[in-house]
Amino acid sequence: MSASEVARGEGAAKPAQEGYQRVWDIPVRAMHWFLVLSIAVCWWTGLHDELEYHLYSGYAVLWIVLMRLYWGVFGSSTARFSSFVREPKAVLDYARTLLRRDSPSVPGHNPLGALSVILMLGLVLAVVVSGLFAVDVDGLYSGPLSSYVSFREGRHLAHLHYKIFNYLLAVIALHLLAVVFYLIHKRHNLLLAMLSGRRRASSGSGEDLTIAPWWRFLLGAGIVSLIVWLVTAGFYLQ
Amino acid sequence: MLCASDFRRNGGVLLGLVLIGVVIAQAAPSQATLIKSRQDKLRDMGGALKAIDDELKKRTVDWDNIVLPNADTLQSRSGFLLNWFPKGSGPESGVKTYALPAIWQKSDDFTKLAKAAQAETQKLSQVAATKDAGALKAEAFAVGKACKACHDNYRSPDYEKENDE
Repeated sequence: MSASEVARGEGAAKPAQEGYQRVWDIPVRAMHWFLVLSIAVCWWTGLHDELEYHLYSGYAVLWIVLMRLYWGVFGSSTARFSSFVREPKAVLDYARTLLRRDSPSVPGHNPLGALSVILMLGLVLAVVVSGLFAVDVDGLYSGPLSSYVSFREGRHLAHLHYKIFNYLLAVIALHLLAVVFYLIHKRHNLLLAMLSGRRRASSGSGEDLTIAPWWRFLLGAGIVSLIVWLVTAGFYLQ
Repeated sequence: MLCASDFRRNGGVLLGLVLIGVVIAQAAPSQATLIKSRQDKLRDMGGALKAIDDELKKRTVDWDNIVLPNADTLQSRSGFLLNWFPKGSGPESGVKTYALPAIWQKSDDFTKLAKAAQAETQKLSQVAATKDAGALKAEAFAVGKACKACHDNYRSPDYEKENDE
């Protein structure tokens, strides 16, 4: 599906406001902030042994990650993996300009940021999947797919779940440091852009955002909800 | 200058130290064996409860081959729970264990909770015998809560450990 096809949708590109450029659509921003919230709830409930709510917040994370993967293929221009996942040379070229205050401005994720997006999505998915199979030592709130593994395997997965989450926390910390670095060193307010969806336009920074239509989001939401529901039911359809 | 009696005295001290060393060396493996066996039995109990929970999710429950034998494992094993925690089998043994020193510091409370867990596993066996899936689901949850009641205060949190061997 080409960008022009996306543009034919209901929410097709509007002209950029003077001096500003739209970079993130509403679904990307909503998924980002709900993911932040859900991961925070997962973290707190996991540490405080509130496993019932840990399961619910984990399902929310699963929904958001699957939806983000869908949106990475069928979503708005800057959400698509094809628009920001670059070959190693492009990543290295960008990395060389990282310390320059006037490094090339890229609409959406820059090649290095794209790596951290992929890493974070991968780690979140790994945490969720290991959690789905994890066994609770008391047998009260095991993952919905824990029936497919033995008690011992499920306990190992519970530990792996915790371990991978720590790696995720480290990458999130790096992500936050990068946001602060861009703000202080390069005067790019990435936080504001993720809230408002817009950023200051700079010369040579490319086209305005091409927004995918809402029906496509709703269609994906329906499919993803069905998958999450099947997973939470452990695929036991009674 | 050293005389023969000094040699004898030093020799006696040395022999004493060697004997103490031998006693410690003997004690360590026995604690390790005891702790390993305790972990195996408790893991079997966890596995038995899991097997019942998993079976209850299925459309048709295999009472005779899955539910009843596993309920029996839980009931029979829980009868020996309090024998598995002799003094000295905590972290002070130097063996990797989740057992916290509080088990021996608050032994009355620990004993009370272990007996409550025994009572719940007895009830589980009785309910399993009725082959009522709804009632068994509720009772399996009650057994899990009895396990948790003890684990909350007397077992170190999972996330502090590398793995669950």
